Amino acid sequence: VSVSIQILVSGTTDRAMNRTLRILGTGASFLLFGLSSAVLGMLLYPLLLLVPGGRVERELRMQWLIHQGFRAFVGFMKAVGVIRVSTEGAEALRAPGAVLVVANHPTLIDFVLLGSLMPQLDCVAKRAIWANPFMRGIVRGAGYVPNDDGDSTVAACAERLRAGRNILLFPEGTRSPGDGSLGPFHRGAAHVAIAAGHPLLPVTIRCVPRGLMRGQKWYDVPERRMHFTLSVAEPIAVPEADAPRGTGARRLTAGLREHFEKRLALA
Amino acid sequence: LPEADTPSPERIFAVVVAIMQSQFDLDESELVPGAHLVDDLDLDSIDGVDLSVKAEEELGVEIQPEDLGELQTLQDVVDLLHRLVTRAR
Repeated sequence: VSVSIQILVSGTTDRAMNRTLRILGTGASFLLFGLSSAVLGMLLYPLLLLVPGGRVERELRMQWLIHQGFRAFVGFMKAVGVIRVSTEGAEALRAPGAVLVVANHPTLIDFVLLGSLMPQLDCVAKRAIWANPFMRGIVRGAGYVPNDDGDSTVAACAERLRAGRNILLFPEGTRSPGDGSLGPFHRGAAHVAIAAGHPLLPVTIRCVPRGLMRGQKWYDVPERRMHFTLSVAEPIAVPEADAPRGTGARRLTAGLREHFEKRLALA
Repeated sequence: LPEADTPSPERIFAVVVAIMQSQFDLDESELVPGAHLVDDLDLDSIDGVDLSVKAEEELGVEIQPEDLGELQTLQDVVDLLHRLVTRAR
């Protein structure tokens, strides 16, 4: 009996120790992230403006730098034992031709994880970031799309796809509710798909045990290392019906939601 | 012009209901005057644009984008359009 108690106790201590290390690792990761974002936005962006080339070349260079930064960040989080990442079908994210990636948004680092897998990735971000002195260099430099008005945002996203650029949209528009369910879907992603006549590529993101979710503090790290799974499914085509776009976007969004509910076993 | 040329509020309501059915896949039973455009009918800003364009075509009025911001219910849409058609005649 005493032996098994000994094992139990030391197991608990190990876990507590392990968890403390992972809290420190998470803190260090975010500190690193903040610092490198500042360097990227405030130092590298002005330097990038000096490199010859047009706006598009500049944006793609910035996105490549962001991708390298995300890779380093994800690599660091893996190395310090905070996360593990598995992917399914990720080669579709890097296939030739533009992809319109749509993903659920359970955690704080979903964009970073996807960005670490894609050297070029446009996205939509809050308009307020364009006024943030630490961040505006990044969003301007990368040519991300500000989310200010439905119609013009959709047009700008469709334009990126037509120009052969990958774009990521979260139909929930923000992080999912912290209980593991899906938030309400906006129809923007479906509108972009319809406007550009481009299929949607759904990526289901899971994180077990749950961490970095809405309502959780960054230091609220779970008992075990977080295991992320990113599963890329078959693309969902835009139906060739001549329905008004309002109707088409409703149907496509309903189908998309059903897809994620099934994948997350919510339905 | 004679009064009869101006569409009545009832006529405008019917026009709005028909637009919403055809454009947004909504069921007639949901389209009651008190229905909230966002909370009940789940309209978004793009739907607002499409609704304006269709209502302008059907009723021959011109809707300013800033008019849309104040609308809450289906009845508000009808009231706005009625004001605009009355002014247009």
